[in-house]
Amino acid sequence: MIGQSGGSERTRPTLLIACAVPALVAVAISAFTVLSTAVGVLPSFWRGGPLTLSEAAALRDQGEVVRLIASGADPNAMHPLRPGVLAASSLTPLEAAVGARRAEMVELLMLHGAKVDEAGWRRLHCFALGTGAADVVAMLDRYRQANATSSCEGISPPF
Amino acid sequence: MPAPRLSVYACAALLAASIAYGLLRMPLQVHDALDEIMAAQRSPGVWASFTSTLGETAYVRPLRIAETKILFDVSGGHYFAAYKTFHIVLLVAAFALFLGELSVQTWTDAAAALFALTVFTGLHTFLGFVREAFPVNHFLQVAVLVLIAVRLTRARPRAAVGVTANLVFVAACLTLESGILVWVAAVASRLAGRRGISDRGLVVMTALLAVYGVVRFVWLAPNVEAMANASGYFFERLDAPQIQERFGSGLSRFTVYNVLASIATVLFSEPRGGVFVFARAWSMGDIPPRMWINVAASTLTTLLMLGAFLRSRDRQPLVFLAVLLASAVASFAYAKDEIMSVAGVFYAISAYWAVRILIMRPLRAPAAVALAVVLVAAGAGWSIRAIGVNHVLRAQAFAVHNDWAVVPEAMERRGTWPADASTRSLVVGLRDESLARPIVNPWFVPRWADRVFEGDYY
Repeated sequence: MIGQSGGSERTRPTLLIACAVPALVAVAISAFTVLSTAVGVLPSFWRGGPLTLSEAAALRDQGEVVRLIASGADPNAMHPLRPGVLAASSLTPLEAAVGARRAEMVELLMLHGAKVDEAGWRRLHCFALGTGAADVVAMLDRYRQANATSSCEGISPPF
Repeated sequence: MPAPRLSVYACAALLAASIAYGLLRMPLQVHDALDEIMAAQRSPGVWASFTSTLGETAYVRPLRIAETKILFDVSGGHYFAAYKTFHIVLLVAAFALFLGELSVQTWTDAAAALFALTVFTGLHTFLGFVREAFPVNHFLQVAVLVLIAVRLTRARPRAAVGVTANLVFVAACLTLESGILVWVAAVASRLAGRRGISDRGLVVMTALLAVYGVVRFVWLAPNVEAMANASGYFFERLDAPQIQERFGSGLSRFTVYNVLASIATVLFSEPRGGVFVFARAWSMGDIPPRMWINVAASTLTTLLMLGAFLRSRDRQPLVFLAVLLASAVASFAYAKDEIMSVAGVFYAISAYWAVRILIMRPLRAPAAVALAVVLVAAGAGWSIRAIGVNHVLRAQAFAVHNDWAVVPEAMERRGTWPADASTRSLVVGLRDESLARPIVNPWFVPRWADRVFEGDYY
């Protein structure tokens, strides 16, 4: 045990304040977290927001993608995107994953029910080529339809 | 209880509660935990779990495996609750034992203790106590056992104290290799004048240490030699084959580097895992504020300790120095911040000792102002680092949540997807429970937070 004898009388108040105040700020923030939880409000550190399936796909939120699909979200439908996620207001989850250059997300979506037909694959493939993400292009190649062409003529990217 | 001590305990309770909340927001992890939980399910009993890995790996951690089994069995299917409760109990015990080392009587003590509390939680080695669990956090458990042993060294000497200290030593050694720090702390405490553990008790503990050494380095010698881990070396991170190729096996400049780097990481928050991340960031022209904060807070505090050490004949820092040195030597094979986590606890205890000595000294006004400035600068840094623990837990929760998303596909690819239906059902249940937990996507986190608070350096 350190410090058996007292010493308040000899210590300058300035030094006590200098020593304690920064720590008390950390304690106050912790207290805010604890009190927020106690009254049923999410503490600021743990405050996020719900994501659509396409937002989750763009924001590398694999856990949320799987959870949303398991909850009934359609992996082939268009879902809205809030401003600042990608430069589009709505995309399919696969488009969002390609737009965010997330090869692992493309694979995850394909494993969980996303489907691409010949035209859809070509559109995604051209989109991926446009982003310059070689790993996404390679991932899409694994799901290439037998009769799909890779020509990008007449294809315009979602954004 | 005197008001100053009560105030410090209340502050510590709030800090601990905030961190505990973060632990509850984090799902059970996949890596290094799921396999352990599956093994607990398959194991016929606690003793079978205890003996299951003896002699088969380089590690001697049977107690942790047995604890995993006990918690699994008592959980009644509520695995998350069982493992998290145990983690939080250990965390609270660590806070309580840490405060017990500070003996707060006056408001001067309380001020120094508040400073030390933020050092305790803010130092990056503390993250090893909370960021992961396997599913039992053995680093935290060993820290608690070392603190109990140090507490015993201050008890009234009697046979029961010696017996308890030896039981603590055995438990620590069976939890993790760092458990030998119990012996280091007990012997250093004796050298510092604490006589709670009798000579006989220390002799028995030393004999047990010798037995442990034989088991570890003779019986398990082939496995120990095969140990290989990635580690940092100046500005780069090397994987095991690269280390072998560049430095060979046995004593080399790499092992010496690891020991020195491990000492430096506690004293200066650099390097991290053996990598000089601050210097590397400097060379790249962008040092995030968090690195300035880490290095400045640690360096100023270490200088305060040095100042107190030069002015005091107190032998209290001996325990810290012994634990620091022993932990660093134990890191000879690879530098890992978690291995230094017990040393980090004693660094914070020494910070209390140093700050208390310095603020009690009669100082002229200019010197007092200078000390106040240093205390505010260091304290602010530690405060930010302590708050940043929540940020780290939030980021870790997101990472763990994502890990569960690729179960069972990733396990099938690795060939670890269990064959029996009950284990599959267990894994799927754990996955569904983990994925259902609400997680904060980093997109919602302000950009500045990643630059100010602690992050992943590799």
